[in-house]
Amino acid sequence: MASLSLVNLVKKFSGGNVSAVNSISLEVQDGEFVCFLGPSGCGKSTALRMISGFETPTSGDILIDGKSVVEIPPNRRPTAMVFQKYTLWPHMTVYDNIAFGLRLRRLPKQEIDRKVREALTLVGLASYGDRMPSQLSGGEQQRVALARAIVLEPAILLLDEPFSNLDALLRVRLREELHKIQRQTKITAIFVTHDQEEALSLADRIAVMSKGQIEQLDKPSDIYASPRTLFVADFIGVMNLIPGTQAGDRVNIGDYKLTVPAEDAYTGSVTIAVRPEDLNVVSETTPGVWKGQLDQLMDLGHYRKALVNVPTLGEIKVYLSKATSFSEGESLALYPTRCLIYREGQPPVEAKLQASESLRSNA
Amino acid sequence: MATTAVLPNSPFPIRRPWYREVLRWLSRDGFGALIAILLILVIIGPMLSVIFWAFATKWQYPALIPQTFGFRWWTETLKRADIAKAIPQSITITLIATVISTAVALPAAYSFARIRFPGRQIFLLSFLATNAFPRFGLYITIAVIFFKLNLIGTLPGVIVIEVVNSLLLMIWIPTAAFRGVDRSLEEAALDVGASRLRVFFQITLPLAFPAIIAAILLSAVGIFYESQAALIIGLPNVTTVPVLMYTLTNNELVVQYGAILMVITWVPSLIFLVFAQRFLRGRYFAAGFGV
Repeated sequence: MASLSLVNLVKKFSGGNVSAVNSISLEVQDGEFVCFLGPSGCGKSTALRMISGFETPTSGDILIDGKSVVEIPPNRRPTAMVFQKYTLWPHMTVYDNIAFGLRLRRLPKQEIDRKVREALTLVGLASYGDRMPSQLSGGEQQRVALARAIVLEPAILLLDEPFSNLDALLRVRLREELHKIQRQTKITAIFVTHDQEEALSLADRIAVMSKGQIEQLDKPSDIYASPRTLFVADFIGVMNLIPGTQAGDRVNIGDYKLTVPAEDAYTGSVTIAVRPEDLNVVSETTPGVWKGQLDQLMDLGHYRKALVNVPTLGEIKVYLSKATSFSEGESLALYPTRCLIYREGQPPVEAKLQASESLRSNA
Repeated sequence: MATTAVLPNSPFPIRRPWYREVLRWLSRDGFGALIAILLILVIIGPMLSVIFWAFATKWQYPALIPQTFGFRWWTETLKRADIAKAIPQSITITLIATVISTAVALPAAYSFARIRFPGRQIFLLSFLATNAFPRFGLYITIAVIFFKLNLIGTLPGVIVIEVVNSLLLMIWIPTAAFRGVDRSLEEAALDVGASRLRVFFQITLPLAFPAIIAAILLSAVGIFYESQAALIIGLPNVTTVPVLMYTLTNNELVVQYGAILMVITWVPSLIFLVFAQRFLRGRYFAAGFGV
């Protein structure tokens, strides 16, 4: 149980001018579960490997409980890692795999035995001690790998895309189990993933990474509701992104207009972001609404996913409640309840729909 | 052989030439049988003939098996002083050369597989280079050097040349084996607190072990049967079994001498191979390799 701080951590690989990790700073509280989320090549795994000690930072510092661990080799760091590949030692039984680290610590035999059995029970494989890794499925192997890491009671548990080799159903189940185990043991954990659903469901806080930097570090709900950059807006969840221009407090997108509060006035090109669930289907006579045609409708059980072709705006993704009875080819009017305006290098602002002049005169 | 065939359940009989029928049978189930018969002829045949010769007291054309069997030639052979001397000498050379070769080659193989150093690839290829020339010429030049070093005709001289001979196999196979060990398995061990030395002995080495054992056994068998270098460097004092076989067949052509020596020299390699098989089939490794 410990806290972790990363201070201006930089990793440049030899020969390259590009930084794999470009100055990231982060504070992880005791018992917190933080996800590093980003596309492949964003530096999330490199950051994790620096924390575990397998990579040496080019500059910056890593502190565990306030003490720098940069000089400590990986075998003496108080961290334990679960790898993406199945890394159980194939020539040892499940029991021996888990006991390996404990035996290195010269614990008494009974204590090793007790801890190994506890760890096996924790991951739900109590009777699997005598098996060889090759006799286990991928999901079972990763559970053993988790037990092998947890049994050492590390200060920080590191997980490097541990479930990405598993099939979808198993991934969700193991995710739930990991969530339970982490809450139970209150272990500080860093979880690296490119799967946003995994990050949103597991993490106390998510660090969304891109090009070696942290784009946003927030609670999952905040990341989803208020993505701070266009990258995060695009990467997390489903988002309609529509290019537009802003002049003063007016924003023009296609044939439509939005307004922003006077203090957010700006001139230049902008991008408008609207979540599919923030679009309501309204009467076509409502002023300023986006009028289009229902191009495609997909029934997904608890809701319906629709593609609406709005002239001058393009294809807009909308979630419809399953109670609605639209059919493909029908005309629709959409009312965005919440729009975010992204301007180059500035935090987003909220915009309101503005009734167009013609519609206003009609009303 | 049928000249035509009729497909069952077909309203129109399809006629095929007889050779197509043979090919069909071969491709369906006869091919494996054919290969088995060929293998038996090529491998078991000569071996049987040698065994027959070793126990034959009379075998004259055109009999398929010897007319009379007996141990007369065995007592004759084992009574010979040169043979009684050659067998322990061969075994000594094989054991010592294999041990030295293993001790030299394994650390080298690990370095080639895991440590980056300048000229690594060229070094690795250089072991192949010595095998690219006719070895006989190489041995002659080495013999000149050994003569000055007083190694000609001595046991250490033969051991040194056999060690050099076996290095290619003993470095290339274990290098590949060490490379084949997934680095993340080593990292996982390092991560739970093992030192680099412990990682090597408890993770890397056991996982590369089957291939290493195979390399050691192959080298040992190779050293045991090697004759050119042993002949040039070993004469006149050191005579290994294969060298003796040359001399025997050159001087007095008694087929039984050669056959009996063959049977005697088979025994150690047979033991080696059976040992290797049992070893590699064990639960310990079979599980690790998903066999």
